[in-house]
Amino acid sequence: MEERIQRLDLLQHTDTVNELLARYGVKFGIYKNNVFKEQLFPFDAIPRVIAHEEFLFLERGLKQRVMALNLFIKDIYSKKQIVKDGIVPEDFIFASSGYMAECEGAMPPKGIYTHISGIDLVKGKDENWYILEDNLRVPSGASYPMIARELCRRSSPDTFHDNRLEDNRNYADLLRHTMDYVNTGGHTVILTPGRYNAAYFEHSFLAEKTGAHLVNGSELRVKNDRLYYVTMSGGLEPVGAVYRRISDDYLDPMNFRPDSLIGIPHIYDVFRKGNVALLNAPGNGVADDKGIYYFVPKMIRYYLDEEPVLSNAPTYLPFYEKDMQYVLENFDRLVLKDVAEAGGYGVVFGSTMTKEQKEDFIALLKKEPRRFIAQEVIDFQDLDIMEDFFVIPRKADLRAFVLMAEEPLVWKSGLTRFSRNPDSFIVNSSQGGGFKDTWVLSQ
Amino acid sequence: MKKLTFDYYMQIDYSEAVSSCHFTIKCLPKETLRQKPENVKVRLSPDVPYSTGRDSFGNTQIYGWDDVEHTTFSFRITGNVYTGFDRREEQADEDLLAVFRHPHGLNRAGAELSAYHEGMAGALPEDAYEKALFLMHRVHEDFVYEKGCTDVETTAEEAWKQGRGVCQDYAHILIALLHRERIPARYVTGMIPGEGASHAWVEIEKDGFWYGIDPTNDIPVGDDYIKIGVGRDAADCQINRGIMHGGGSQSQLVKVSVDEEQAE
Repeated sequence: MEERIQRLDLLQHTDTVNELLARYGVKFGIYKNNVFKEQLFPFDAIPRVIAHEEFLFLERGLKQRVMALNLFIKDIYSKKQIVKDGIVPEDFIFASSGYMAECEGAMPPKGIYTHISGIDLVKGKDENWYILEDNLRVPSGASYPMIARELCRRSSPDTFHDNRLEDNRNYADLLRHTMDYVNTGGHTVILTPGRYNAAYFEHSFLAEKTGAHLVNGSELRVKNDRLYYVTMSGGLEPVGAVYRRISDDYLDPMNFRPDSLIGIPHIYDVFRKGNVALLNAPGNGVADDKGIYYFVPKMIRYYLDEEPVLSNAPTYLPFYEKDMQYVLENFDRLVLKDVAEAGGYGVVFGSTMTKEQKEDFIALLKKEPRRFIAQEVIDFQDLDIMEDFFVIPRKADLRAFVLMAEEPLVWKSGLTRFSRNPDSFIVNSSQGGGFKDTWVLSQ
Repeated sequence: MKKLTFDYYMQIDYSEAVSSCHFTIKCLPKETLRQKPENVKVRLSPDVPYSTGRDSFGNTQIYGWDDVEHTTFSFRITGNVYTGFDRREEQADEDLLAVFRHPHGLNRAGAELSAYHEGMAGALPEDAYEKALFLMHRVHEDFVYEKGCTDVETTAEEAWKQGRGVCQDYAHILIALLHRERIPARYVTGMIPGEGASHAWVEIEKDGFWYGIDPTNDIPVGDDYIKIGVGRDAADCQINRGIMHGGGSQSQLVKVSVDEEQAE
């Protein structure tokens, strides 16, 4: 594989592609010490290559997983059968910050909650794929491989002539269809918090590619139980679907956080009445909590009566006495995660703690067992990246995108993120990682 | 049977003109086995159109957008409520019961309230309803009624630590204790005679129905009580909520009256 890739003409163009990405504003904004900084999201030209058969397998597993997660959310905000049947304990639902009582009794158009899911996976050295986490709220990242592919094709057309891979430029069409499918009548818009958001590039790029209006909160207005787009001339045009890139908390100051300046007052009331589709639906946080992750394989068996195709990383819930025992006995080789944190924060490795830190942590763990999960450290495969003309190995994961309309569809690409630090397993872009294109071979 | 007449009036005065505002009002008495509302009228000023909807706890809310320039916003809700039929409120929605068994928002117990609860171990009766009454008596006894020392954002733990507060705090503290006993409990807003403002109490589930108990007055809810909204905590049942453009500083006035009428 390495040799074949070395020969890729594309690699000669890494700098050109990165320059173009910078020119197109492919950046990632982060706040550090309260200062907003935009940084480039470094692109590495060696693609992650997934064989045709292997991708078919991933596809099956991802569809199954998203199907079950969608059924779970629907169940939780209505009958709660999975709780009544004792599969998921109440404590992991109603005391979780992701559960929103406001969503009880509100059925989104066509019963779809998880329109756009970003599922993070890694491939272990044992050749098995493991699910790391499900992102069902506002997962970002599809735009990066989209534009990278476009620029790579432009810089090195031969590469794409010589390699048989799936075209990933259809993401915009898939997304458009996902939005149109649930549209209740009217325009489709992408709602952005504005240009100081980490993923603003993506919001504008997806709007351009799907032909949806890019709007901010002040351009939308609720009147007579309908949502309207306020035109330049002050006219009101109905909106039927909002791909909102702001979190539930900030969506509607009249229903959620009252101090939100980026939301639309009463938009949630319109949604409750079934007069607009929100993508993703509010309340999804109940299903992508790190504590709930443990239960996803059980959900697949419960709702679909199927065995899970893709495995979770082996996970323990200190909430259960037996698991707590295991965690205490094997503390040094486990990774511990705070269920309330995201973006690679709140993750600690037992092996790197001092004796004191360990004692403090165990005391906290015993006091709040519901707050943590423990996992075996997956020794995942390195991918090659280019640095100063050398090929070096780095840890990488894959965010696969699953879009749901009539049924779940897996985009034949994905965002491969890698850690730039040789000792780090944390690949999050908010912590300075880079990205690669993901090639799915077409045969 | 008792016939009660109620009048809930709320007025906000602004120092500068408000060019537009959004409002949500949850102030319509609910029909339950215990109470039957009749002739309920809503008046808004400025008189703007509004929508009606239902929140996830079944509370009726009216909401809308007011773009008439104003320096005073007010609403008045009047009507009658018949009581004395039953002690039960509505049937408990089995699917929502678990929601009312877990801590949320303002009703969370912290270290001190938990310690208080632990101190009662052994003294608590077996039966859930008896247990709730026991906890109500204890909270009533050990907490002091005093206005002005807590506000709408005070949590059960904070109120308990200072030992003083109003009906909202009594309700949050009792709910926190009931949750620790895994008894489904919810927060209620409503009106009682002689209070002049809205009142708050607690409902607990027993045999599939909700029953009101009032820790501030240490009694089960009686025929003088008019229930408005329910939720997990006070924030879920906020009677009026709004956002405005302009307005400067504001002052709010609330007048509530409940009187008994001779039923024909």
